[in-house]
Amino acid sequence: MLSDEPVNQFTLSAYQVELLPMTQAHQALLRSWRNQDEIRRQMLSATLITEEQQQAWFKKTHLDPKQLHWVIKFRDQLIGATNVKSLEAGKTAEQANLLEPGLYIGERRYQGNIIAFAPTLAMYDFCFDQLGTKRFRAVVKRSNQNALSYNQKLGYAIVEDQELMVLELEAENYRRATAPIKQFLSRTRNAK
Amino acid sequence: MDTQQQLQQAFSDALGIPPEKVSDGLTYNTIPEWDSTAHMVLIAELENVFDVMLDTDDIIDMSSVAQAKLILQKYNVSFA
Repeated sequence: MLSDEPVNQFTLSAYQVELLPMTQAHQALLRSWRNQDEIRRQMLSATLITEEQQQAWFKKTHLDPKQLHWVIKFRDQLIGATNVKSLEAGKTAEQANLLEPGLYIGERRYQGNIIAFAPTLAMYDFCFDQLGTKRFRAVVKRSNQNALSYNQKLGYAIVEDQELMVLELEAENYRRATAPIKQFLSRTRNAK
Repeated sequence: MDTQQQLQQAFSDALGIPPEKVSDGLTYNTIPEWDSTAHMVLIAELENVFDVMLDTDDIIDMSSVAQAKLILQKYNVSFA
């Protein structure tokens, strides 16, 4: 059930970042990030993506109501990509109670930076507060300790402890776990 | 205690590492002790010790001990 027009019309702005709906113009940059060794290694499919595969992926995903994809803008620079996918049959991302998130920071200088939390906070706030999402489910390779730690700091709990770890997050745990970091990423200038 | 020692002690207290491990080259997310949670504790500690309130931009940019010194200098903290 593909849409006739791009499904993601939501531009989000919070915690110092902007999330812009992904477009055709972003594809070359996304592919260069996605093919970086350190990003590819953590993906469930680690193969190199060709230009044709990238275009085919975009052609489908930007019209698929089960997915919403954004690129992340910070200080006038695109630094990564984030997305949510519906995990419920027959429900769009806007309708589903259960979503799977995705994120990667493509710009190396921000990969180990606290700003990496900002796009997730902006997107989760939007999903929990505007879309009415009830739960997120993340699947992470056990070897990807950075992602596991990152998700646990967002309030995720491990529900399946296997080679592919399954973690879930509900709104209340998310709000409790992220209150301090939100406060640090929302300060106004010269508050003291 | 001079400001250099205060900075070293603040990092040591916030990250739970010995003061001798605090050098200019120490960088966020390169040791298990300096993760995002510890980063927030560190910011609070530096603000308390030097009586400043850091902008969000500076919290984001404070990715090493050397960077912390440069940022604190903007808030009139000098390191001899």
